Amino acid sequence: MGHDQILIRRKLTSTFYFLLPFFCVFVIWELLVYLGIVRAKLIPSPSGIFLSLFEGIVLEHVLLTHLWQSLIRILLGFGLGTFLGTSLGILMGVEELIHKAFYPILSFLIPVPTLAWVPLLLIIFGIGDETVILAIFLGSFFPIVYNTMNGIRTIEKKEIWAAQSMGANRVTLFFDILIPGSMVSIITGLRLAIGYSWRALVGAEMLAAGISWGIGNMIYTARAFNDIQTMFVGLVVIAVGGFLMDRIIMDPLEKRTIEKWGMSKER
Amino acid sequence: MTKIKLRAIEVSKTFGTGKDEVVAIEKLSFDVKENEFTVLVGPSGCGKSTFLYMVAGFEKPTDGRILLAGKPIQKPGPDRGFVFQEFVLYPWRTVLGNVTFGLEIAGLNKEEAKKTATRYIRMVGLEGFENKYPHTLSGGMKQRVGIARALAYDPEVLLMDEPFGALDAQTRKIMQRELEKIMEKTRKTVLFVTHSVIEAVYLADTIVVMTARPGRVKKIVEVNLPRPRSYTGKQYLAIRREVLNFLEEEVTKSQKLQKEQ
Repeated sequence: MGHDQILIRRKLTSTFYFLLPFFCVFVIWELLVYLGIVRAKLIPSPSGIFLSLFEGIVLEHVLLTHLWQSLIRILLGFGLGTFLGTSLGILMGVEELIHKAFYPILSFLIPVPTLAWVPLLLIIFGIGDETVILAIFLGSFFPIVYNTMNGIRTIEKKEIWAAQSMGANRVTLFFDILIPGSMVSIITGLRLAIGYSWRALVGAEMLAAGISWGIGNMIYTARAFNDIQTMFVGLVVIAVGGFLMDRIIMDPLEKRTIEKWGMSKER
Repeated sequence: MTKIKLRAIEVSKTFGTGKDEVVAIEKLSFDVKENEFTVLVGPSGCGKSTFLYMVAGFEKPTDGRILLAGKPIQKPGPDRGFVFQEFVLYPWRTVLGNVTFGLEIAGLNKEEAKKTATRYIRMVGLEGFENKYPHTLSGGMKQRVGIARALAYDPEVLLMDEPFGALDAQTRKIMQRELEKIMEKTRKTVLFVTHSVIEAVYLADTIVVMTARPGRVKKIVEVNLPRPRSYTGKQYLAIRREVLNFLEEEVTKSQKLQKEQ
């Protein structure tokens, strides 16, 4: 058996073991609904949910429009959070004065739940994309700033000494030591931020009830029609979306950096 | 008369202030001759690593001066190469990348840097490992990279802070022999810190025995033995006994000091 075949087989096995628990839950759930132990009106069967999912994507495109709107918001909010968060985090990590200026405010704002900002944002920016995007931004910004700053501040003194003894100036030190040296922490911050982004997205879309598209909005509107099936579809889409975003953005980044460098903890 | 490369003049180092004040080094004076291998030995806590950090420019003396080729040391720089006990390789750079780093900073182009680095990688016996990342190497191999990295940009002095302290006994002996061979080829001026007398007498041209804290010079021992040396030779053992006696007095003192605290 070739090397590639072994790799493919290993990949298939791990995928199988990943999906197995889901499959088991679905079978049991389906049976419970089928046998009437669980009332289908309150908790629809998995097959019903997947059917709605299929209809929403292929037949009516409604779900796709909801998802598309949400994705654009999350990418903008998370992107802004990543850009400003890493920038401020780096500055706070490198410059003691900037750390002194921002850290008290930052530590004060970190525990504030993102959703607590939303009513304020609604008054300032009104019902619309700005409010949702800014909520996502706030949700992702804080974990990114904090972890980036921490990553830079906890770099081993000797790693900096070694570079200085080779004659490194501040610019070299920054790009060749501080940034790669804090990559573990930066990636942790981004991972957390993706989770917070989805929470902020759905919450803000529900609170900004006037906007007509978005996954959060879809779930919230479904309540008015007692459309439990759609609510479950929304839950599945959010779970899958968060999972895929992590896989598509974070996994390649991690593989190319800290995993290759042996800096990520064994999983 | 050989030239003096490095000169410590009444160097003192104090940590903390007031009640927490600790005098680590007090009026330490000695010379390191050009192209010689000088080893600093002393009981733990005597400030030998601290002194090396000051030579490197990582820390500043509280008092006194350290001169490199007649000029006082102000800050870290590529005229001194440093080898750490914990290797301190950059995990995001390959073996080659770690060794070329200092050369890139010096302004060499990629080709030249690679050529020079490859020469040193070969010298430390790591041919074929150029593209490996540090986390895949054993401790001994990591320190070979550390040595190649510090030699590659051709510093005037090589500073080594217990470089084999984190290695097992077997690897340690191999590395001592390797280092001796490398030094024969490069004829670098070396200042080497260790608490192992076996290592000191095997490697040194001159041994500086330090006192317990606060660190001062207790004794300077010249080791005029032909190389390569044997760990079991009669003269080697005699010098080892001599150095060990000086050191034991100081270790007893430092243990008393620790008990009092």
